[in-house]
Amino acid sequence: MSSFSRSAQQWATFARSWFLIDARMQPPGKIASMCSVRLQGKHKPIYHALSDCGDHVVVINSRQIAFSGNKWEQKVYSSHTGYPGGFKQVTAAQLHHKDPKAIVKLAVYGMLPRNLHRRTMMQRLHIFSDDALPDDIRANLTEELQQPRAIPRKLSEYTPEEVEAFPRLWTPPEDYKMK
Amino acid sequence: MAVHAVLRSFWTSFSGLKLVNNCITSSLLKNNSPIMSTLTVQSRGIRQGEFICKRYHIEGKILDVPAGPQPPNPSAKCPIYRWNLQNKYNYTDVLLLSQFIRSDGGMLPKRITSLCPEEHRKIAICVQMAQRAGLLPDHKPKLPEGHVPKKPKQNLNRYLTRWSIDSVKPIYKTGLKWCKKRMAVGHPALKNNVRYGVKPLYIKH
Repeated sequence: MSSFSRSAQQWATFARSWFLIDARMQPPGKIASMCSVRLQGKHKPIYHALSDCGDHVVVINSRQIAFSGNKWEQKVYSSHTGYPGGFKQVTAAQLHHKDPKAIVKLAVYGMLPRNLHRRTMMQRLHIFSDDALPDDIRANLTEELQQPRAIPRKLSEYTPEEVEAFPRLWTPPEDYKMK
Repeated sequence: MAVHAVLRSFWTSFSGLKLVNNCITSSLLKNNSPIMSTLTVQSRGIRQGEFICKRYHIEGKILDVPAGPQPPNPSAKCPIYRWNLQNKYNYTDVLLLSQFIRSDGGMLPKRITSLCPEEHRKIAICVQMAQRAGLLPDHKPKLPEGHVPKKPKQNLNRYLTRWSIDSVKPIYKTGLKWCKKRMAVGHPALKNNVRYGVKPLYIKH
């Protein structure tokens, strides 16, 4: 802002912010791409790969992420322990049951650049499976980001007035036993 | 008993019932319809002086539903074409989809709703996707009494699921870029839907 003093402008440009993202009913890939952009600092005009300008990102409700399609059953996360016969493959549903933070963590890890800064950027990512945040992190938060996907409303969430206002598309015949 | 079946069918064949509980004296017994006689049969064994007359006087009135807004294209046969909603609805439009389903979630037949076959199929696909996304919580089939599920179901949020969750197998080997096994999202029947952005609809993720 041009109305800031020089020191205030300097602080506002170079301070490390803390972003909050609610992952409830959101696809984990879209959440991860938003996180990776902010962890690298690519949302800032002063970005440079060497200048360590990334911010902190806090993801909450990672237990309630929503995959599109049948990815819960089809998507497979593979790993190898290094020992013979140690190739493990688990579906997204099984992995989420074992660790609700792992899917978002692996997604962000895969979207960050493959260099030595990746580990430090992952340390600046904080994922929580539920709403409960520790007080020190809650005190640091500066901005909440908009969710990438608009959550559709259930039929029970519509008020009776809205249901009445929607026109009937067809009239049943008189002799038909409804439902 | 067959008599109880007759009673139940008499009840359900009226829409807009007015139920009046009358206590009629014995002089009016002759004017009663056959339904009333079933209740008198039951009360035959009661002693004198007790309250034996308990009649249900059913009046069926066909209520006049006030005429709603007129469709913009009344000459079309299918209701979707009558309201110009072709290619404009999705699995999220629950208010539209709920008009074509029964209370247990099943679709109503085409001959009743007068939907054309393509739109009936598209609506059925959207209803399926909405049910898998959990947008129709009250339209579930009724479970028998005392039904205890064997294993606790994992509540995973999902949307745009094309296949049923038990029928899908994990993709253990996805393949190389030129022959990758993609995961299906949405349904190709809805590929002609109106899109207000530049990006195309991705069916294969």
